[in-house]
Amino acid sequence: MSAITTDAPVGQGKKRWSFRQAGTRFWSWVWFLLGAIYFLVPLYATLRHSLRMERDVIGFKAYVRAFEDNDFWETFLLSNGLAVATIICSVILIVPTAYWIRLRLPQARRIAEFITLLPFVIPAIILVFGLIRTYSAPIDIPFTGIELLKPLTTTKFGTYALITAGYMVLAMPYMYRSVDTGMRVVDIRTLTEAAQSLGAGWFAIITQVILPNVRSALLSGALLTFAIVVGEVTLAAFLGVDAFGPYLFLIGQHRAYEPAALSFVTFLMTWFAMGMIQFVTGGQGQAAGAH
Amino acid sequence: MAYLNLTNITKQYGDAVVVDDFNLDVEKGEFVSFLGPSGCGKTTTLRMVAGFEIPTTGKITINGVDVTNNAPNQRNVGMIFQAYALFPNMTVAQNIGFGLRIRKESESAVKDRVKEMISLINLEKHADKYPYQLSGGQQQRVALARALANRPQVLLLDEPLSALDAKIRVSLRAEIRAIQKALGITAIFVTHDQEEALSISDRIVVMYEGKAEQVGTPFEIYNFPKTQFVANFVGSLNNADGEVVDAANGILAMDGVHLKTADAELSTSRKGDKVRISIRPERFSFAAEPMKDNVVDCTIENITFLGSVVRIQISIGNTKFNMDTFNNPFLELPAIGATEKVMCSKEAVLVLGTA
Repeated sequence: MSAITTDAPVGQGKKRWSFRQAGTRFWSWVWFLLGAIYFLVPLYATLRHSLRMERDVIGFKAYVRAFEDNDFWETFLLSNGLAVATIICSVILIVPTAYWIRLRLPQARRIAEFITLLPFVIPAIILVFGLIRTYSAPIDIPFTGIELLKPLTTTKFGTYALITAGYMVLAMPYMYRSVDTGMRVVDIRTLTEAAQSLGAGWFAIITQVILPNVRSALLSGALLTFAIVVGEVTLAAFLGVDAFGPYLFLIGQHRAYEPAALSFVTFLMTWFAMGMIQFVTGGQGQAAGAH
Repeated sequence: MAYLNLTNITKQYGDAVVVDDFNLDVEKGEFVSFLGPSGCGKTTTLRMVAGFEIPTTGKITINGVDVTNNAPNQRNVGMIFQAYALFPNMTVAQNIGFGLRIRKESESAVKDRVKEMISLINLEKHADKYPYQLSGGQQQRVALARALANRPQVLLLDEPLSALDAKIRVSLRAEIRAIQKALGITAIFVTHDQEEALSISDRIVVMYEGKAEQVGTPFEIYNFPKTQFVANFVGSLNNADGEVVDAANGILAMDGVHLKTADAELSTSRKGDKVRISIRPERFSFAAEPMKDNVVDCTIENITFLGSVVRIQISIGNTKFNMDTFNNPFLELPAIGATEKVMCSKEAVLVLGTA
């Protein structure tokens, strides 16, 4: 009876493996290039369009015109201010919430995750109408007639507070998930207990131990929040806030080249911000994950 | 009154009783280990001392002060964790100085103490490194220094060596013990590793199903286990069923062979009572001294080389026993299947409950 042999000549297995590896690498490059083309071609088209304001001349006239416009600077700075306010308020609200849920209320995680997903299924238009309907009239304590809160939409500060709260809702899925993921990477329960055994109270634990160790997650969430707020149109338009989103929408309807220039600049700023995050948090991921 | 006192401590989660009426007195400067299998309640007890868990009933006092309901940050108890728990965003020096800065000690006092602690753990060259730049053993030494920097009343160690490899574990446990002795600090050490507990402790608390099965020195725990669980959990043990022949003179019968025992447990037994006989493998030896209490015939069944020890499986009657003998290059081992005489002292024959 002859034996069934499965021996291959020496080196054949290795060769087969390297062919397979080369094939995998080839397809990886193909998908990468397709992805890059998908993102870069529209960007190139926008750039090219923005540089052709003058007939047969490639120049920066659209950029100069856009930057000369006072409305641009006013709306841009306002949106930046609102973005910073949104980020600060989100951090104050979301970091302790995510921390407490991870530490003491793990059973509430599903509920929190469900709530953070709501902005994906409830359109911004519904949110803004809800905000206007609720906060454009005074809020009374039921059955007492005592006024608890004056109408927010009648003052500038009140409107800014309202739109910031609305932006917080829109940014919540990104901010919460970034922070929650960051907390999953570092063992916050043990770090908390270690800090407690060294005499630290809750404020010291959050500010000195938890926040620095979720810094990169926070920055990622902050970047996404920034991008959402700066480009947001619906809330700003309906609340009557002269923000950058409605401005961009407006000039897009009346001018041809400036919107392309501003879009490209906004894109570059986003990339600059991402680069800064990489630069600032370069070694932090390693440190946070070390055990 | 003892320095650390746990009185009638019980911890329940719903219907599950995790720690059941636990009592312990620890003297100042003593090193006590909680030893037991997973789920026996040793870590929960330690966490109650730390303040991370509040006892369902009972009282914990440290240096005469009732701390049962105090928050962890109000107890001045140092804790070392299995996962090191160093703050990843801080350097070695910053980690060690963290507790002192929380206490708002002056910056010069913090610097001095950090320097002292770093030299205590011999990591002077690593003061500015981050935890991820250190090995596991170095990280745990930093955790030890950080816990000691605050001059805690009690040092709690929750399986601090479990994540380390064998050699580092042995050297670090010696280092921990030396530092504990030098500073005279009261320490509680949780482990499921019997060798670790036996080598490092002044006293061991063997825990099982939330209760303290036996409290004693390593010598007492190993040589005079009070329960079957302790005898089985600490060290290797041969078990066999036997019968009381003469309770007054400590004579037992096992497979037709008579064995003498010095165990006081027998004094309450009567002739014919079924008992569980336990003998540690290293208490057997080949019968070179005929005057020993128990000299019996056995058959050599198997021989296993374990490095420093050679384990010989013997059968006495129908019962199989393991016998351990120290290895040496000139050791003459019997042939498998041969009949030999083995002996053990009457103190080696333990009676641990009924069969």
